[in-house]
Amino acid sequence: MAENTIRKIKWFWAWQDEQEEAWLRSMSQKGWHLSSVGLLGIYRFRAGEPRDYVYRLDYQTFPKKDKQEYQQLFRDAGWEHIGEMSAWQYFRKEVKEEEPLEIFTDAESKIAKYKRILAFLWFFWVILIAVFPARGILIDNPYPWWSAIQATQVFTLLIWLLFTYIIIRLTLRIRQLKRL
Amino acid sequence: MLRDDTNKYLPLTESTCYIMLTLVEPLHGYAVMKKVEEISKGTVKVGPGTLYGAFTSLEKEELIIKVKEENRRKSYVLTPKGKNVLMNQMKRLEIMTQNGLSVIDML
Repeated sequence: MAENTIRKIKWFWAWQDEQEEAWLRSMSQKGWHLSSVGLLGIYRFRAGEPRDYVYRLDYQTFPKKDKQEYQQLFRDAGWEHIGEMSAWQYFRKEVKEEEPLEIFTDAESKIAKYKRILAFLWFFWVILIAVFPARGILIDNPYPWWSAIQATQVFTLLIWLLFTYIIIRLTLRIRQLKRL
Repeated sequence: MLRDDTNKYLPLTESTCYIMLTLVEPLHGYAVMKKVEEISKGTVKVGPGTLYGAFTSLEKEELIIKVKEENRRKSYVLTPKGKNVLMNQMKRLEIMTQNGLSVIDML
C-alpha cells in the first residue's frame, strides 16, 4: 500500500450513521480523505490538504442500471459518490457557502431511509426464526455431534438477538425523527 | 371512482407536493430540484436523497411515469391519477389557507 494511504476498519450502528458522517468529516479536516469503502467496514483514506468535506450516507439497493441514474442525480446536485458498503452509499461534497449540505431535506425521507434498513432486517429476522427449529431443539442429546448443532443454535440465537436489538434501536430512531 | 382512493395519499409532504407540481411537464431530477427551489421562492429545497426516494415511491404508486431517459437522466411526468391526487391536495390546502386568512387579524 502506498505511503499516502491508510486503511481503517470501523463499524457503526445503523442508527448512528450521522456520527459516522461527522467522523468522516473530521478525518478530512485532518487531511485524510476517504477514497474507497470496502466490505465489512474497510475504509481507505488518502492523504491530502485538509479540506472541509461533508459526508452523507444513504441506504439503497438497486439494479445496476438504476444505480447509474441514482448516482447521476447526486452528481448533478454536486455530490461525489465514493463507494458503497452493503447498500450504504457514501457521498461527499465540499462545504461552500450557499451549497446545500443535506441529501435528505425532510424528516419523512430520513425516516424512509431507516425503514429501508428495517425492511432488510425484518426479512432476516424472520428467516432466522424459520431456520432455527430445523437445527433441532436446545436439549441434552446422547449423540456426540449434537454439541456442534447446539453451538450453531447458540450462534443463530445470538445473531437473532443482535438483529432484534438493531431493529429496536432503529425503530426508536424513527420515533425520535417523527417527533421533530 | 378514482377520487376516493386518492385520499390515501393525502396529505402529501411539502416536498412531495412541490415535486409533483413541477411535473406538470416532463423534467429530470436535477431540473425538478432547481424548479422547486425557484417556484417555492427558496422556501423548499429538495436534496437528491429525498428526491430519489420520492421518484421511486411516486412511480411505484403510478402517480408519475417515466417518459424519457438520456445521459443516465430519467424524466418523469404526472399521470392522470397523479394529477387527481395533486388536485385534491390543492383543495385541502386552499381550505387551510382560507381558514388561516380568516383569522389572520386575530393572530
